[in-house]
Amino acid sequence: MFDTVTSARALMGMSLAFHIVFTAIGIGLPLLFLIAEGIALRTGNEEYRQMARRWGRTAAVLFAVGAVSGTLLSFEFGLLWPTWMEFSGSIIGFIFGLEGFAFFTEAIFLGLYLYGWDRLSPRAHWLCSIPIVISSAISALFVISTNGWMNQPTGFDVVDGKPVNIEPLAVMFNKAMPYEVTHGTLASYVAAGFAVAAVYAFAMLRGDRSDYNKKALVLALVVAAVFAPLQVVSGDLSARFLAHNQPEKFAALEGQFETEKGAPLRIGGWPDTEDKTTRFAIEIPKAASLLGFEHVDAEVRGLNSFPEDDIPDARLVHPWFQAMVAIGSFMVLVVAWFFGLAWWRKRIDPGRLLLLAVIAAAPLSFLAIEAGWCVTEFGRQPWIIYHVMRTADGATPREGIAWVLMLFALVYVALAAGLALLLFREQRRPLEPLGPLRRISDAP
Amino acid sequence: MPLENLAALVVLVGLIAYSIFGGADFGGGVWTALASGRRAAEQREAIFRAMGPVWETNHVWLILVVVTLFTAFPPAFADLFTGLFVPLVIALVGIVFRGAAFAFRHYGHVVEAGLPATNAVFSAASIITPMAMGMAVGAAASGNITIENGTVTSGLWEPWLQPFPIVCGLVAVAICGFLTAFYMTARATGELLEDFRMRGLAASLVLGALTTIALPIAHWDAKPFWDQVKDPAPLAVMGAAVAMGLASLVVLWRRWYLLAPPVAAGTVALVIGGFGAVQYPYLILPNERIADVAAGDPTLTAFLIALPIGALILIPSLVLLYVTFSEKTGGPGAEPERYGY
Repeated sequence: MFDTVTSARALMGMSLAFHIVFTAIGIGLPLLFLIAEGIALRTGNEEYRQMARRWGRTAAVLFAVGAVSGTLLSFEFGLLWPTWMEFSGSIIGFIFGLEGFAFFTEAIFLGLYLYGWDRLSPRAHWLCSIPIVISSAISALFVISTNGWMNQPTGFDVVDGKPVNIEPLAVMFNKAMPYEVTHGTLASYVAAGFAVAAVYAFAMLRGDRSDYNKKALVLALVVAAVFAPLQVVSGDLSARFLAHNQPEKFAALEGQFETEKGAPLRIGGWPDTEDKTTRFAIEIPKAASLLGFEHVDAEVRGLNSFPEDDIPDARLVHPWFQAMVAIGSFMVLVVAWFFGLAWWRKRIDPGRLLLLAVIAAAPLSFLAIEAGWCVTEFGRQPWIIYHVMRTADGATPREGIAWVLMLFALVYVALAAGLALLLFREQRRPLEPLGPLRRISDAP
Repeated sequence: MPLENLAALVVLVGLIAYSIFGGADFGGGVWTALASGRRAAEQREAIFRAMGPVWETNHVWLILVVVTLFTAFPPAFADLFTGLFVPLVIALVGIVFRGAAFAFRHYGHVVEAGLPATNAVFSAASIITPMAMGMAVGAAASGNITIENGTVTSGLWEPWLQPFPIVCGLVAVAICGFLTAFYMTARATGELLEDFRMRGLAASLVLGALTTIALPIAHWDAKPFWDQVKDPAPLAVMGAAVAMGLASLVVLWRRWYLLAPPVAAGTVALVIGGFGAVQYPYLILPNERIADVAAGDPTLTAFLIALPIGALILIPSLVLLYVTFSEKTGGPGAEPERYGY
């Protein structure tokens, strides 16, 4: 059986891996229905209104599951990591308080949006989507900034093992925060774009090339196309930040064991932690130095130069990093292919292969989010708070966490199965009729 | 008022708000389980309709309680979650299943065959969750969580599987059923209204009985709690709770339905406020005082400044939500129309 720390990590990891999917949708999908309803109001096109309604309903279901899994996480802080929270609570707790407000605001306006179609004026209804988009992005900012703090802890001193002299703003605006927040939020828009696009690509693949499906596909892919390239830039900036500020993590994600001037970029490969070398990788000479330090001959510190007990396990970091980068590149390629083809042919008429690529990009985009999150979490180990507290020291003294782990594994399986069934049904479910759509300019 | 007391007040207010909003949702599950007679299906349907737009919002109060605890009182948070590990895990599983069952029923329009199963999960989870939470709150006040040198020494089971926590758990379930029945009388019409009126009257009697026997049980089983009860301030709040509880009976008896929701909410606020007054100045009786486990002033200041700023955005939005969706249930349902994905 697993020991307490391993079980606690596994349970926390499982919970976050589950939750992160719903947050990404909760952040990304509102942007899509904001745009769709906006178009409907400007043009008077009923199809865009139907899209907005459909996406709003889906967002509500997923938001509900996200709310539940988020509540679960706040309990798990105490159940699994009481010692960590006893130290960190007074430092990062208030950020969760702010996040609570942002989340609350999102819940309220989502309720209004979802149930207000025939109770609010068209303009007021559309305006409700704006606070949803804003508050969900701000939620992401708050939550991810606490993860930034775990990676770059600042804004406090430690006296007798207790945190004192806490400066809340310094805590929130830690050095890692802008990089992590940007990368995490952009990822949500890309993933939501591809997730929605895949639904309509699938319908088209099955032969339903209606105008409605095309419109929805294009709208979703436009969002993905705007954010996917930005995500590449943000990823590059993040890697450079790590090279300078968390060299162990940078070395682990590059699979760099020896300290080296002009270090190569390793594509693929498996880090062998016994022999301390990364095997089977395609190496691009000097590229890691260039990407991390803007100079081909810059020195990259290897994992071997750190104490053995203070480094992450490269086997859990390098492969995830590779997966994330590969998927990110694939997504840029897919949107370039789609819009390149549309521009070339002057019409939207994607072929089978392209539709399949769009469909594949949806699960892959979520895998990329999971992979990126694994990079940042496994890359921070063995620390729960970088250079301040070890993960093993933050866990609960309670025994038998393995049982709780198994219990919640079952809970998550049940939840995922129920949700899959529900979404499948939701797709087929007709919407209730609304009054006639009026353009904003027509409104009295 | 010292900052830490203000933060403790936030915990109490959060707990009250969670009870009077979220509690009514749990009560929805209680009455789904106890729906009876010819109109059983209608009773369930009316409850689900009323909860639809507001249930997520209602449960954010729990997050406020948890976040305030770990921000303002980190050691107490750690000790509560260590000492009450089992009931909190049970509550958590309940929260997950209940939220999922409700969302699936509500958004999925579960087909006839799946309805009993979904209702059963929803009801069971709606009863187990407040029961476990009530037991956890009761255990924290009973003196059963022992702490030595900042480490919890009590085991997994003995702090909460005791008479006083069990009564507290039952009180929590009764509160939920009480609130929902009262709230529904303001929304339902016709025969359905009479159903909820009878349920409301029954629930207020049960709640009154349980809170009354809680005191002798505290005397016998929860000494630290009983020692605090005898102070004048808690006695005054509890007296007000009794008066309000009696008023709620009168309101339903005389069919003053417009008054039913405020009286019910007021009763529950006073019951929980009374509990809080007994526990003051402790967070965990009899070991951890509010002042001893509070975070430093910079943290408390930041947190207590953030709250009203957040509330400034929140309260108008919340009012908009409740105003937009408070209406009588019933009326003809619209025919669905098929329209693509």
